[in-house]
Amino acid sequence: MKFIPDKDILLFKSCLVNVEYPGVESSTSYIFDRIDVEYYVDERQSCCTGLGHYYDLFDQISTTALAARNFHLAAETGHKNIAVMCATCYAILKKSAKILNQNEEARNKVNQILDDSNLEKREYTLDDMDPTLNIFHVAEIFYNKRDEISSLVKVDLSSLRVATHHACHYCKVHYNDTIEGVRDPNLIDKLAEAVGVETIGWYDHKTVTCGAGFRQRFTNKEASLAVTAEKLQALKDNKVDLLLHMCPNCQMQFDRYQPYIEEKLDTEFNIFHLNISQFIALALGADPYKILGIQTHTVPIEPLLKRLNYSLETNEKIDVEAKKSPN
Amino acid sequence: MKTIKLKKESVQLVKEVLKDIKASPDLGIYKCVQCGMCTSVCPGAKETDYDPRDMIRRVLEDDETVVDDDNIWNCFSCYTCNSVCPCGNNASEINQILRQMSIDKGEGMKKIVSFAAYGDSFMELGVGSIPSNFFDVMVKDIGPGYMDLKINIEDIRTDLGLGSYILPEKAIDEVESILDNSGFKDRLEKIKRCK
Amino acid sequence: MNPDSSKDISNKDLKIGVFLCRCGGNISDTVDMEKLRSSVDAEVVEEFENLCSINGRKIIRDSIIQKNLDRVVVAACSPITHEKTFQKYINPLNPYLLEMANLREQCSWVNPDVETATEKAISLVNASIEKVKYAQPLDPILRKTTKSAAVIGGGISGISASLSLARQGIKTCLIEEQPTIGGAMVKVGKLFSPEKLAEECAMCLLNPLVNEAVEHKNIKIMTNTTLKAAERRSGNFHLLIESKPRKVIEEKCISCGKCAEVCPVEVKDSWNEDMTFRKAIYKPFAQAVPDVYTIDLENCKNCGKCQEVCRMNAIDLDMEGEVIPMTVGSVVIATGHKTFDMDKRPEYSYGRHDDIVTQMELARIMGVNGPTKGKLLKPSNNKIPERVVMVQCVGSRDEKPGGRKYCSKVCCMVAIKHANVIKQHYPDTDVIICYTDMRTPGMYEKYFKYAQSNGVRLIRGRPGEVAEKDGIFTVRLEDTLSKEPLEIEADLVVLSTAMEPSDGTINVSGLLDVGLTEELFVKEKHSKIKPVATEVDGVYVCGTAQGPKDITDSIVQANAAAAKISELINGGVELEPFVASIDQSKCTLCKKCIDICKYKAAYIQDGILTVDPISCTGCGACIWECENNAIEIMGQTDEQIIATIDGMLKDKKPDEKRIIAFLDSVGYVSADNIGINKITVPSSVRIIKIPSMNRIMPKHILHAFKMGADGIIMGEYPYNPMYSHTKEKIAGLKGELVKNNINPDRLAFYKVYIPYFRGLANKFKEFDGEIKCLDTP
Ligand code: SF4
Ligand code: SF4
Ligand code: SF4
Ligand code: SF4
Repeated sequence: MKFIPDKDILLFKSCLVNVEYPGVESSTSYIFDRIDVEYYVDERQSCCTGLGHYYDLFDQISTTALAARNFHLAAETGHKNIAVMCATCYAILKKSAKILNQNEEARNKVNQILDDSNLEKREYTLDDMDPTLNIFHVAEIFYNKRDEISSLVKVDLSSLRVATHHACHYCKVHYNDTIEGVRDPNLIDKLAEAVGVETIGWYDHKTVTCGAGFRQRFTNKEASLAVTAEKLQALKDNKVDLLLHMCPNCQMQFDRYQPYIEEKLDTEFNIFHLNISQFIALALGADPYKILGIQTHTVPIEPLLKRLNYSLETNEKIDVEAKKSPN
Repeated sequence: MKTIKLKKESVQLVKEVLKDIKASPDLGIYKCVQCGMCTSVCPGAKETDYDPRDMIRRVLEDDETVVDDDNIWNCFSCYTCNSVCPCGNNASEINQILRQMSIDKGEGMKKIVSFAAYGDSFMELGVGSIPSNFFDVMVKDIGPGYMDLKINIEDIRTDLGLGSYILPEKAIDEVESILDNSGFKDRLEKIKRCK
Repeated sequence: MNPDSSKDISNKDLKIGVFLCRCGGNISDTVDMEKLRSSVDAEVVEEFENLCSINGRKIIRDSIIQKNLDRVVVAACSPITHEKTFQKYINPLNPYLLEMANLREQCSWVNPDVETATEKAISLVNASIEKVKYAQPLDPILRKTTKSAAVIGGGISGISASLSLARQGIKTCLIEEQPTIGGAMVKVGKLFSPEKLAEECAMCLLNPLVNEAVEHKNIKIMTNTTLKAAERRSGNFHLLIESKPRKVIEEKCISCGKCAEVCPVEVKDSWNEDMTFRKAIYKPFAQAVPDVYTIDLENCKNCGKCQEVCRMNAIDLDMEGEVIPMTVGSVVIATGHKTFDMDKRPEYSYGRHDDIVTQMELARIMGVNGPTKGKLLKPSNNKIPERVVMVQCVGSRDEKPGGRKYCSKVCCMVAIKHANVIKQHYPDTDVIICYTDMRTPGMYEKYFKYAQSNGVRLIRGRPGEVAEKDGIFTVRLEDTLSKEPLEIEADLVVLSTAMEPSDGTINVSGLLDVGLTEELFVKEKHSKIKPVATEVDGVYVCGTAQGPKDITDSIVQANAAAAKISELINGGVELEPFVASIDQSKCTLCKKCIDICKYKAAYIQDGILTVDPISCTGCGACIWECENNAIEIMGQTDEQIIATIDGMLKDKKPDEKRIIAFLDSVGYVSADNIGINKITVPSSVRIIKIPSMNRIMPKHILHAFKMGADGIIMGEYPYNPMYSHTKEKIAGLKGELVKNNINPDRLAFYKVYIPYFRGLANKFKEFDGEIKCLDTP
């Protein structure tokens, strides 16, 4: 398996995490701080263009030029390893790094653009960024330190029936870099296991997309939500309480639109949605509002916490056995 | 009846596709055996008349009308096809290349004009966002809570100990300058004009 | 490099006879024979109309006897044509004390101009004279192979090979890892017969062969045994065979089965693809050979219950394994295949549901000796399936990680066979085969048509998923012919899984030092002309160890392997003695030569570096590796190469250009073809035949330039196993030239092919032109 770093990490901001599920970022920081990951957030870092890129609004050169700028920022502060919270950032950055390394014409073009913008210092030199060894999803960083995570678990979540939704742009774009399975992805199942939760594993449609499809959610809403609905139905058939995500875009599709689909189909799915960072942070005892940021969710998380005997007033866990390791 | 005149008409489309900057060096379009495995896992094919296998066939057969086919806009860019194709082909990537061709021709601009606001936001703030024109219907679909979230996002972020997500002035200038010099600014203007 | 002075003196004293052939004008019309004669410095110079005739032989032989000649040079046609003839003509001299100067194909026929042709002829004869001075009497290598063989793997390939060997009188040891022989064929139940459009009983076809193998006095069957180690010594193999203790004494067991009745341990029965159970003491199937019980060491609890009931006292729980050494002349790898690991393609849900099976499992289900006694019943509920869907190319023709890029070749036929069997016995059951291409070459196409007329349905599309809901499966695919995404409901899904190299194939090849393909099957020496030979002389391969194939092809290959071994044993082939020889006093056993040799000719035996003359091709790659100068190639010693170069450049005139072309045997024949086709070649070109470009070292090249060569050409056939080294070496040689202030463009390397002689002639011309340009300031 590829080498996964735990230092010199640029925690890459994501546009959807920023404004939809900012709790994913605070949860990630919360976990990183506890498992000794050395990381940095750079306010100058621009968005990857992901949504715009897959809306086909952005052209590849512009996306790549912005990636080159971000790569340079990472190197400049000594945080050459990029960890993303969004699968689209993951795929976009890897694709850009590959183009910059493999396509000399494109590289020259990008450097010309940087020169023209008086950013000579940010020029990209061949192999500055290794798409496989420098670009990661935060879930991979967690995975590498899953034993440490296990030893920090405070909240017992094992009563939940949990399934996972692995983001397409993590698993299927650069599949040679994917860990714990492409055709039956298990990366976040393994992370759930690390905090003491056995997931249901395989279910029909496990590998199917969330349905967002970038433009499809807006220009083809019925098709988009039909895909989501089919997956939700499969999860319901499997009596799933909670679906774990690793991408804010997928999370939006399920969390924001589940009530809408329920209404349209006149059914109830009753499935909670959490990002893997939020889920791990919860297991580690993080505050639901101050760290997990559940106040930004559309499907309320409070009933789930209640089931876990979580007192919302005091933000204290009652009757929850701490599963601390001996040391 | 269609006749193929060998040598007289050399196949151009597939060559253009392979030359595109988006085309991975190992893109295996020539190796496609038309097995349909891509289509069998494709959400676009399931929900619409889009058929990635057939799209590939048309590219290989130099059928340029595929670029104008509305169906190419039904791909979800989910790359499921890419993850299973036994022949090293990547329908998703080819789809994106065809869409760019359609945009370059002008026709495709109509398909993406409604997303132009994403570009404006990017130039202004250095971050993208869901185009504001979709906002009303989102609030309608998702509920008023979504509106509240948008209003309170800065406060929530502060509660979570997070800083501003908007880039500092100087960084925005860098981004804007790059997008100007890369031709994106012009492209965006052109797209907006096609309304 | 200079030959030392003592040799110089003895060389001077050698009496050399030079015999010039006019070749009925073919040579003498273009070469001025008078001039040639007068410029040759030798004890005897004779000229004759056709030296290859019986009269020529008399002239040569008489001179040798009368003048007491030590060495002979024949200047005539190409050695390719008549070297063997003249080697006989110089008897009583040792045949290797002859050198030939190729005055016809490489001189008169390519040089119409008398003056330059004559000059070239002189230098070619001189080169031969110089070279022959260093010739040593050699004996041809007589290959004797021990009349015995080991066949590893007791499937249909191994059994067939053993029988063929045994029938030819060759003692054969059949080594099988399992407690019984028979391999995959005993499991498949039915075989398809395209001619009869029917299925035949596999066991009925196999049994007579197995029985013959058991009875044959030349075959020793060793089950429960594996190859542990192997060493090759000049044509023989010393093998170590390890036998696992069966814990049942074969001679005593009467196969009554009482022991299995009382054995308390139940384990999955791999003979039924894990669909049934057997005991820890077991016999894989009724007709197993040898017909005895075996204790499965992994699962036996040593309770001794079986021992109590065995009336024959056949069970010995303390039985120990053995390691048996044996020496054989040849080895056949017949280690078979294994089936694709379905964990690699989880989307087909195999392992999650009992009614998703592989074709092999279906074969067991439909086998009369299988878990359902031949009835087609679903494993989950013993009901007859009404809708059977088969998925082709599972793991085959698949470039994705874990997939196999090749076509597994038999699965289309297997699917059709099973579909036919189902249709015959259960006409109400629907059978659909989902395929990308149906591959039914040759006569099998008839069987395919037969399936179609039996109502087997075919849908063209490669399924992406198999899902299950409430016990019903959904196969998702696109019907690519109607451009429709489809879901097919099924109650039994059958996966046509890929054939993969077995672990045994990989292990055994490693032990025998045999090369594997990219896909880890045993690599043949040449896929077209040497399909059963491996890179290691004396080791042959047959059956699915070499790649996916059906039973017919496996048997054909097994017989071919046996025939090859028989050739070795009965032919007593004589080989040219131009092989590496080791100066033991210089060798430090650094093993570098062993590592480089792709023919695996070098090895260390009893602390001495030894070269197996049968495997060595004399390519010379090892010489480069040896830092101690301990290696020479007989017939191509440094002295001989240097002497040839000297001879060719001896009388070069100041304004003349001379190019030395080192060609391997393919290049040399190609150059002869230039002559045969009377294509003119620049008079500057002089050709030296060399076994492989690996033989040419910097010192040879530098010497040639020092002696006045203007350019050097090296030509080699690219499809020889050592070619990869050649390319590196040319770069190294060029570097040497730069170091010595010689323009590296003066050295050219070309790939040569026999039929592309025109290309070679053009290269000669181009290079000659380039050299002239280099020299014009
Ligand atoms: S792109 Fe791949 S999966 Fe799709 S039809 Fe071609 S070979 Fe099959
Ligand atoms: S990327 Fe597009 S073509 Fe490929 S499976 Fe997804 S929707 Fe279908
Ligand atoms: S070991 Fe003994 S009991 Fe078992 S089959 Fe042989 S003879 Fe019978
Ligand atoms: S034999 Fe048929 S099923 Fe098997 S790999 Fe080849 S094409 Fe596929």
